[in-house]
Amino acid sequence: MKSVVIAGYARSPFTLSKKGELARVRPDDIAAQVVRALVDRTGVNVADIEDLIMGCAFPEGEQGFNVARLVTQLAGLPQSVAGATLNRFCGSSMYAVHMAAGQIQLGAGEVFICAGIESMTRIPLGGFNPMPNPEIVAKVPAAYISMGDTAENVAQQWGIDRAAQEAFAVRSHTRAAAAQAAGNLDAEIVPIQGKRGGAAKDGCIRPETSAEVLAGLKPAFSATGSVTAGTSSPLTDGAAAVLVCSEEYADAHGLPKLARIKSVAVAGCDPSIMGIGPVAATRKALARAGLTIADIDVVELNEAFASQALACARDLGIRDETLNIDGGAIALGHPLGATGARITGKAASLLARVGGKYALATQCIGGGQGIATILERV
Amino acid sequence: MQQIRKVAVIGAGVMGAGIAAQIANAGTPVLLLDIVKPGLADRNAVAAGAVAKMLKTEPAPFMSKDAVKLVEVGNIEDDLGKLAECDWVVEAIIERLDLKQDLYRKIDAVRRPGTAVSSNTSTIPLADLVRGMSDGFQQDFLITHFFNPPRYMRLLEVVAGPASNPQTVAAVSRFSDIALGKTIVNCNDAPGFIANRLGVYWLQVGILEAIDAGLTVEEADAVMGRPFGIPKTGVFGLIDLVGLDLMPHVNASLLGSLPNTDPFHVAQRDLPMLTRMIAEGYTGRKGKGGFYRLNRDGGGRKKEAMDLATGQYRAEQKAELPELAEAGRNLRALLSGTTPAGRYAWRVIGQTLSYAAHIIPQAAGDIEAIDAAMKLGYNWQSGPFELADKIGVDWLIAKLEADGMPVPAMLRIAAGRSFYRVENGKLQALGTDGNYADVVRAPGVLLLEDVKRASKPVLRNGSASVWDIGDGVLCFEFTSKSNSLDEALMSLYGKTIALVQQKYKALVIYNEGRNFSVGANLGLALFAVNIAAWGEIEKLVKAGQDAYRALKYAPFPVVSAPSGMALGGGCEILLHSDAIQMHAETYTGLVECGVGVIPGWGGCTEMLARWQPMLPKGPMPAAAKVFEMVSTAQVSKSAADARAMGILRKNDGITMNRDRLLADAKAKALSLVEGYTPPQPAMITLPGAAGKLAFDAAVQGFRKLGKATEHDVTVAGALATVLSGGDAEPWIPLNEEDVLALERQQFLALLHNSKTLARIEHTLETGKPLRN
Repeated sequence: MKSVVIAGYARSPFTLSKKGELARVRPDDIAAQVVRALVDRTGVNVADIEDLIMGCAFPEGEQGFNVARLVTQLAGLPQSVAGATLNRFCGSSMYAVHMAAGQIQLGAGEVFICAGIESMTRIPLGGFNPMPNPEIVAKVPAAYISMGDTAENVAQQWGIDRAAQEAFAVRSHTRAAAAQAAGNLDAEIVPIQGKRGGAAKDGCIRPETSAEVLAGLKPAFSATGSVTAGTSSPLTDGAAAVLVCSEEYADAHGLPKLARIKSVAVAGCDPSIMGIGPVAATRKALARAGLTIADIDVVELNEAFASQALACARDLGIRDETLNIDGGAIALGHPLGATGARITGKAASLLARVGGKYALATQCIGGGQGIATILERV
Repeated sequence: MQQIRKVAVIGAGVMGAGIAAQIANAGTPVLLLDIVKPGLADRNAVAAGAVAKMLKTEPAPFMSKDAVKLVEVGNIEDDLGKLAECDWVVEAIIERLDLKQDLYRKIDAVRRPGTAVSSNTSTIPLADLVRGMSDGFQQDFLITHFFNPPRYMRLLEVVAGPASNPQTVAAVSRFSDIALGKTIVNCNDAPGFIANRLGVYWLQVGILEAIDAGLTVEEADAVMGRPFGIPKTGVFGLIDLVGLDLMPHVNASLLGSLPNTDPFHVAQRDLPMLTRMIAEGYTGRKGKGGFYRLNRDGGGRKKEAMDLATGQYRAEQKAELPELAEAGRNLRALLSGTTPAGRYAWRVIGQTLSYAAHIIPQAAGDIEAIDAAMKLGYNWQSGPFELADKIGVDWLIAKLEADGMPVPAMLRIAAGRSFYRVENGKLQALGTDGNYADVVRAPGVLLLEDVKRASKPVLRNGSASVWDIGDGVLCFEFTSKSNSLDEALMSLYGKTIALVQQKYKALVIYNEGRNFSVGANLGLALFAVNIAAWGEIEKLVKAGQDAYRALKYAPFPVVSAPSGMALGGGCEILLHSDAIQMHAETYTGLVECGVGVIPGWGGCTEMLARWQPMLPKGPMPAAAKVFEMVSTAQVSKSAADARAMGILRKNDGITMNRDRLLADAKAKALSLVEGYTPPQPAMITLPGAAGKLAFDAAVQGFRKLGKATEHDVTVAGALATVLSGGDAEPWIPLNEEDVLALERQQFLALLHNSKTLARIEHTLETGKPLRN
């Protein structure tokens, strides 16, 4: 089977929904600038790109139609580059990587751009016309459960108390702030310029956050609950993209090989505890790679909520020093469709920096799923 | 006349900042300057801090977020040059003549010639302020004395000096009237002008006489409040509100400038208790408390009041005064009472009305100015001369004489007569020359009260009257208790529509009550439920819907002109009008869920029809927006806010000055007459069962957060059924009748719920919502 590599990674700054600097920029404009920068920075021959696969959790409005194809136009890629938009909620753009890898191994292309997009300012969570089906709810009451409620459920069932969640949120902000200060985020970020706004750096990080500040917040989802806005990832605007190609192609064209895709997996779970989804997906992926968690040197575990990230880390036995080294979504933000490409690209990039061999990128997915990718340093 | 396009306010204290906010509320850019505070990196920190503080102040100084953006902050060291861009500069700095004059010289150096400059001073005479200033400055200078809080208090005292250019004074007055919504009262350059001189005198007498009569503060306020049409805060409650520390300050200033013969000097005495309270931080509501306080010791919330005899706080005691039972109807009985409360009433009112007459002509040339000042500056329902008429001028003179109290010339002039009279349907006021003259309203002011004096209603019943306001326009006035809506009122709509069609061009719905309407008559609804008259109730709901639809589709323009509260059914009238001309201080919304029902007179339907064209396509956005507003009983905090809620549409207007509302509404109605065609019925696309599921899930989220009660969930569920269109198909638009039928069905279902009835009963009894 053909070996597939991550040959480049770029993303926009992630900024707060409505309050941030990207609120007045269309998501397709953000994504196009990220894709263009990825192409320019890697120097890939655009004529060789088979397809642009774009993950998006609410593909409507300005990120509607087939936004992937439209972004190829905005980014000035040749008309020969195809485009497909896919939706697996928060796992969308990680799944774009899986799809590209599968296509490459099927012999259906050599080079793919796997991107993700989400303006949570301009397209509301749930979309403009959320229309749940009463028949499903009759069968599975939690089918459309709100994400906050799942975070509370996980906190309760896994016994993750509020103080632990807050300590984790502080950890995320501290690490993200340190990474930002040290310039460790600079290489991945593409400054975005729109007609009505623009951003050059991440806008969600709060370096001043402390356990005391967080302890003063009211519960966000349940009066008797433990999850607050401070221990949840914020609503965020942003886009991310990775370049995926066969290892042969990378070698032949002198592209950087950040990491090789070792194994992938998706798995379903009870929607009411969707945050635990990464556990089943990761176990499958580890088994397919013939590895154990002890072999993993870099973990990017998406922090939808502190409660679920802590529960997953505990169940999987993730070592703290390997986890979200430059901070996670609680600090950086979580533009739903874009996060998968970010953490896959980030995990691949970190392998060289920390001198590790294997990396894991994994996410929980609303509706009850998990997705995981295991990468190997080349 | 000179246009005022940009204003500067210098001094960002409570008054200056509040004035700047009101100028911004009028849509006019305003520069707010204050000093540079040493040691702060931000040189505009003082002015910026004042704006930030106003964003947290209740009642809110700003009417909208857009208004906030119109305030540009700066400081007097770097930004005085910007005064050249301004057409009016308002000075509102500390009350020190030297500092004010220093500032005036700097202003004079940078302002454009002709730019008006005014001071918000409450104590310094104009003559002193302009002494030594340039001729040009003196020509453009005047005093504009606002009242606190500037957004809500309608009074503006204007003092022009002998050198003031009448055109400058007229330009500022016109802007303050039309744009800022203030009623201008022209005052002479006399100490304290009108409202503070008479008002502080009244307060001072009110304190002293209460101590002498041995009354409690609760008793004194009960006597001096409601019976005389004065806010229930009376004397002591009002002092708590304005601040105890302000009293000695204003007193000293007035004493220093008034001649020794002025009765103001008589009403003075050392009050060690007041001095001590101020020293201890009991400066009123802004401090630790005043004559009343909330004692939070030990985590409790005990209401306490100051014992005037001992100077100690004690538990609040409700005033039990049998002499007040008839007071509202018979002031003479109260004033001739021999009990301490009766003596108190007379001593305070007698001296105050006497003093009101005394300050004519020194403070103002006419009785209307003094009445207007007390009505608008102190919220008295009647001014002192109107009160004198109620009591009877001769009776008042006789009693003053009997008690050896002064009877000033203006009272003597009125002997044997009254201060006001109605002649040939026109209100007239007595002048200092002893002759009556018509009370003249400013151009653009049309008051229903004047129309009612001059004519008879063209239609009327127990709940509403219809008046001919000229030029082919009728005015529909609610006359029911609290302007509540009932079947009689609905039935008069029908007759009115027929009459307008026959003989008139347009209809304005308007009244001069404190509130436009707080909605349906809940008492009647509860009565009908209690006798299980379900058929009657259904008929009433249908009759309301039919009446409102008849208004909406009548072949002539209908304009609603609300002020104050327009809630529930009162809001639904607005939603069915062709246009709304709204007073800036209008608080409106569909609040039915608060009493356990849903809007049933077309409110849901019309709100959906308003929002649907403004939001993204599809069945959910409008339904979700309306659900959010109605399920939380959202009420606008201003007319600007009503626009954000979609109640006001693009072509609807806002009137800042309450007195101009009817004229503006009439003009709006006449502007719609030519080529008028009734609106096209709306088609409304709704989500059906999926929407209901989504709304119910959202409410469950609020329930989990403790923000929704058990019955809130039920009521919101009924609302969700209506707003999702029942079992609608998301691609087949419903017509208005379909949604109206759902409103009726769900409204009636809720009336069958005992928890809804508990809410209605509770609200009727306490005026407050029940959170069951």
